[in-house]
Amino acid sequence: MSSVAATTETAEHGHHAHNDDLLALLKAAPFWSTDHKVIGIQFMMTTLLMLMVGGALALGVRWQLAFPWENMPFFGALVPATAGGQIPPEFYTMLFTMHATVMIFLVIIPILAGAFGNFLIPLMIGADDMAFPMLNALSYWFMWPAIACFGCSFFFGGGPAAGWTSYPALSALSQAAPGSGHAQTFWLLGVTFVGFSSMMGSINYMTTIINMRAPGLTLFRMPLTIWSMFITAILQAFALPVLTAAGFMLVTDRILGTCFFVPAGLIVNNADPTVGGGQTLLWQHLFWFYSHPAVYIMLLPAMGMVSDMLACMCRKPIFGYKPMVYSMSAIAGLGFIVWGHHMFTSGMNPALGMTFMISTVMIALPSAVKVFNWIGTIWGGKPEFNVVFLNCIAFVSMFIVGGLSGIFMAAVPVDIYIHDTYFIVAHFHYVLFGATLFGVFGAIHFWYPKMFGRYMSEGWGKLHFFLTFVGFNGTFFPMHLLGVAGMPRRYADPYLYPYLEHFLPMNQFMTICAALMGFAQFILIGNFVLSWFFGKKAGRNPWNANGLEWATPSPPGHGNFDIPPVVYRGPYEYANPDTEADFWPQTQPPNPAT
Amino acid sequence: MKWFWCLFFAFWPIVAIVVCLLAPGNNWWFPGEAASPLGRRIDDLFYMILWITSITFVGTQLVLAYVLFKGASDTEPGTANEKAWFSHGSHKLEVIWSSVPAVILLFIAFYQLDVWAEYRVKDAFPRKRMEAVFERIHQDRQKNDSLALAEVTARQFEWRIRYPGFNADGTLKALMPDPQPTDLYAVNDLHLPASAPVMINLRTQDVQHSFFLPELRIKQDAVPGLVIPIWFEADQQRSYQLLCAELCGWGHYKMNARFVAESDEQFIEYLRQLEREQNEDRVDDAPDTDEEE
Amino acid sequence: MICLISGCGGQPEFSHSEKFQTLKPYAQIYVDQVLDNYFGSPSDMVAWDKLPLELHYGQGTVVEASGRMLTVELQAPHAEITAGTEVLWDSGILNDKDSAWILEWDEAKHQAKLESPLATNPEVGDAVILGPGQILATGRMLYAEHCQHCHGVAGDGNGPTAPYLNPRPRDYRKGIFKFTTTQSSKRASREDLSRIVEDGIPGTYMPSFKLLTEDEMTSIIEYVMWLSMRGELENQLIGLLADSYSVEAVEDRIAGGDETSDTIHQEFIDAVNDPDSFPFEVDTIVSRFTSEWVSSQEPDAEVQPLTPRTPSSDESIAKGRELYLKPSLKCAQCHGEAGLGDGSQTFAVSKDAAGQDNLTPGLYDTWGNLVKPRNLHSGIYRGGRRPIDLYSRIYAGIKGTPMPAFSSTLLRKSNPEDSGSEMTDEDIWHLVNYIYSIPFEDVKAGQGGSSIANPVKDANTASEEDSEEVAVN
Repeated sequence: MSSVAATTETAEHGHHAHNDDLLALLKAAPFWSTDHKVIGIQFMMTTLLMLMVGGALALGVRWQLAFPWENMPFFGALVPATAGGQIPPEFYTMLFTMHATVMIFLVIIPILAGAFGNFLIPLMIGADDMAFPMLNALSYWFMWPAIACFGCSFFFGGGPAAGWTSYPALSALSQAAPGSGHAQTFWLLGVTFVGFSSMMGSINYMTTIINMRAPGLTLFRMPLTIWSMFITAILQAFALPVLTAAGFMLVTDRILGTCFFVPAGLIVNNADPTVGGGQTLLWQHLFWFYSHPAVYIMLLPAMGMVSDMLACMCRKPIFGYKPMVYSMSAIAGLGFIVWGHHMFTSGMNPALGMTFMISTVMIALPSAVKVFNWIGTIWGGKPEFNVVFLNCIAFVSMFIVGGLSGIFMAAVPVDIYIHDTYFIVAHFHYVLFGATLFGVFGAIHFWYPKMFGRYMSEGWGKLHFFLTFVGFNGTFFPMHLLGVAGMPRRYADPYLYPYLEHFLPMNQFMTICAALMGFAQFILIGNFVLSWFFGKKAGRNPWNANGLEWATPSPPGHGNFDIPPVVYRGPYEYANPDTEADFWPQTQPPNPAT
Repeated sequence: MKWFWCLFFAFWPIVAIVVCLLAPGNNWWFPGEAASPLGRRIDDLFYMILWITSITFVGTQLVLAYVLFKGASDTEPGTANEKAWFSHGSHKLEVIWSSVPAVILLFIAFYQLDVWAEYRVKDAFPRKRMEAVFERIHQDRQKNDSLALAEVTARQFEWRIRYPGFNADGTLKALMPDPQPTDLYAVNDLHLPASAPVMINLRTQDVQHSFFLPELRIKQDAVPGLVIPIWFEADQQRSYQLLCAELCGWGHYKMNARFVAESDEQFIEYLRQLEREQNEDRVDDAPDTDEEE
Repeated sequence: MICLISGCGGQPEFSHSEKFQTLKPYAQIYVDQVLDNYFGSPSDMVAWDKLPLELHYGQGTVVEASGRMLTVELQAPHAEITAGTEVLWDSGILNDKDSAWILEWDEAKHQAKLESPLATNPEVGDAVILGPGQILATGRMLYAEHCQHCHGVAGDGNGPTAPYLNPRPRDYRKGIFKFTTTQSSKRASREDLSRIVEDGIPGTYMPSFKLLTEDEMTSIIEYVMWLSMRGELENQLIGLLADSYSVEAVEDRIAGGDETSDTIHQEFIDAVNDPDSFPFEVDTIVSRFTSEWVSSQEPDAEVQPLTPRTPSSDESIAKGRELYLKPSLKCAQCHGEAGLGDGSQTFAVSKDAAGQDNLTPGLYDTWGNLVKPRNLHSGIYRGGRRPIDLYSRIYAGIKGTPMPAFSSTLLRKSNPEDSGSEMTDEDIWHLVNYIYSIPFEDVKAGQGGSSIANPVKDANTASEEDSEEVAVN
């Protein structure tokens, strides 16, 4: 029904280009396009660019930790001339703030929801475009004001100085972090724009997935990727407005003199005492009400995509399809009531702390179920050890570590000790980088043939994987130890403290690993770009996969499906004895024999 | 090549475990054994979770490695024409691997409630033992006076400490919520009696900070607008590291201070010393009586 | 990759003072040469003997020396001497010969076992320096770690973090430190400086560095004084040269008639080479501030009240209040009648150093910053809260600021009959008592209540009957 609306929309743009070449696709689809694939690819390019920026910022942080107060190479040029060539501590603060901001808001969320969500949802449900193509395009173009705001924040006034969590009063009072001046305000505006962008996307995804599925594609025949995108969209739609509103309130605190988050009587930087009756804890509640679900927004789509890729690569049905769906829903549901575990040491009511602790411990359960099901999927499969598969295994393996280290901080008394130490840093990097990004790297290699009609290089992909995996573990595994030793996060110079002095060599080792990992990403970018031109050509279904997206030409033209798809079965009918091939596409009519 | 990757994925968990086993010997571990009873309970809890997670880690990584090796051998030439095992899952397995972790997780959840309650829930504070300290140091107090012996005010970027002063009869006053003319002040140097639970009132003058005593495993945010009581008990009479654990501005890393746990007498003597310093007027023959205002 | 990165680090440099750029290039080169000669650069510092600083671990004379054993008599003070410390021969036959290195040090006997036997034994009484310049080097390292990003490499109070701070970090180059307990004509004593480093300055961004060890503290203090001396020499030398050899002055002179650019340059070169000209001036500048620093360390430089503090009482406070409001003492003109720091002078237009009206009305310090007179209700005492601190503030003023020294109007107790005086020692104590009482004006001691604007709520953790943590508002 609504697909009719979408067809009219696409009809305006006319031509159905069936090209097998990116340049032709881009020619056919102008810079400003409402085609979901173009928008998805635009998201992909932007986020990969931002991945490099965010990685460079991280290397700046690592530099300071390994060689404290020594002249910083490359970035030195960006630092306002510093006498003596040190990284000033407020620049360090800005480095880690911007690193988190870029990675979370401009890389992980948009590459999952924006790039893959956009590209895959209509293809995988057999629609010719999103329900609201114009909204979809806006969702991409709202990224740019956000990037501009973050850029302003970075280049003018010294950068935001309150961490990505932006706790007041540090973020609310300009005199508390005087160097950041308007930068903090710009930063908050940037977050607001990102919020608009994601919101437009999530409304679109929900509508599209509910209304525009191909005939025969019932909810429980949807690939887990679509399920994860759907659940993510719901999470975003319900959690994000809270952050956007809170961010806006913080902006008014900063520039209009409201006092939502500022209590009275604070004397900061020798200024007059503040007046007003705000509560800083209110911000923490509002912020984490979004930002904890955001962790799942940053993870669930990767889980979905890895499930699809694993099934295809192992030539075997996903193990426990429905439990997978239920666990994702459980994660999403519980994800709304665990935000307080970020605040165990904040002085909130201890009874509340207990409640949050129990819900937090329980959220480990669906994650565990998913891990077991992935292993069950590989069990008895016939995997081809290609780049996609390796990245998926890395996802599972790293997610186990990230999930298990999460149990430590779910235990409140232990969290008292490890809160705000490097243990936390290790934990979320294992989840967000170790899990999500390896999933994303796999997904890039997996769907690249669909995007551009060519394969990415397998050899370079494996080299990239190897270096990234080694660099990643070398960088982040020691952080667990630093955390247990009580090294706090966000310290420009932990070596002032005698009990941390001996960690300098370990930090230097980690920095070398981080540089290795950063270097490896150039391989990915190079592979990505060069494969447009020199990659091996790919047909419609290069992986012999079942999903609907493989029923389209590679790359799909405007309007996607040359043959309107009809779905006969679920997406995981690999190795089905009822058919001769080891895969059974969803669109293939049933065997006359059965 | 696939065998290489199988070994690769089997190898790294071994490295991880070896590193963890080597860690305590290389001083890559806790900053010393916990120096307080509560800290030891936190450590015990940590080790318990460490055991559970380690077993899970080893188990899952082993199974993962096993299925990879099995996958690799199943795709060897010769077996190549057969299809993979066709299975949509197993209801029985799902039930097992949902309920077993659920039981373990619930056990972890409920097992730790005690420690948390003791640390944070005010009714569970060891009030009796705190009052015994007041008795020993001769604090002159009413029933409703604060249990805290000092007020620690965090500010960018130091810890300002306020102790109650002395009465004319030599007894220690109780700590008042607001500064008093007789109060004694110190900075970055918190002295309190050892081997007994002692409480401080934590507040901040500007932004959010966090009071972190790694050796005692104590951490509590200092939240603008709130006064938060925290108690801790140091076993040994020595100096402990005190630092800030919540981003509080560019100088976050500079909030280096110490907590000195000492005997009751030393504590009183320290306060007396502060009092003398605070009343320094550089006239040697000053009569002893000028110590009070 | 990492080697590639780490190769790009640069060395820190002492920045020049603002007026440096106004000099002709040859004068700039001369200033640089002088500073480089006597002070060096951050990466290659010169420990100049003429400066009254303790830059070495220890200085002393040989008591006994033979083979690998060396016993010395050390002048106190010295930092802890460790293995690997250099022994520099300062006189006698080994003077200018290679240094020896200590392998073991016996602190009790002041006896060292050297790393290698001496070729020639020095004579008894020969001067030795242990760890030459080591304190300066340690100071430089600690300064870079703790101080530099506010106070700047050159101690110009202009580090990268400085623009964000209110008040601005101290610029040492004037040799003036605000909070001292020395006479108004004196500089800061080492004790004053170390107390500031140890306790910080409440109400400013200067934090407390309480946990520095004694040796670290010594090193930092000596380094700060060294920076201050370097900056003072630079400033004064530039001031001297600017009269005749600034770009502007040279243009004026050329416009004035017979001189050309070349003759002026030649004249400058002559002056540089004439020991009685610039080199002599440099010596004079250095001797002047050197003697000032030295005399400021003497015991009689300290502010010394003659009477003990008058015990605080209602009468004393009332007397203090009376004095505070006395027009001739002018306290209220700046601090305001209620002590809120809002006196009439804070609204008056003042003149800057060059005699021009300042843009914003109010009071300015020597560094050209707008300063607010202290709000005496805040309970924050930047220079310390001891009676002697408050006494010194009144008696000797706050250096570099409009807060005057009352020592000139003060009648010391020894001469109570002098009618020309306005204030006695006791009067200062009355004022001190009054100032102590201001934050508590509307609270009775010991009764709680809110004196300082800090209304706080109880944390959620408190159960109902435990309302003791709740402030009264």
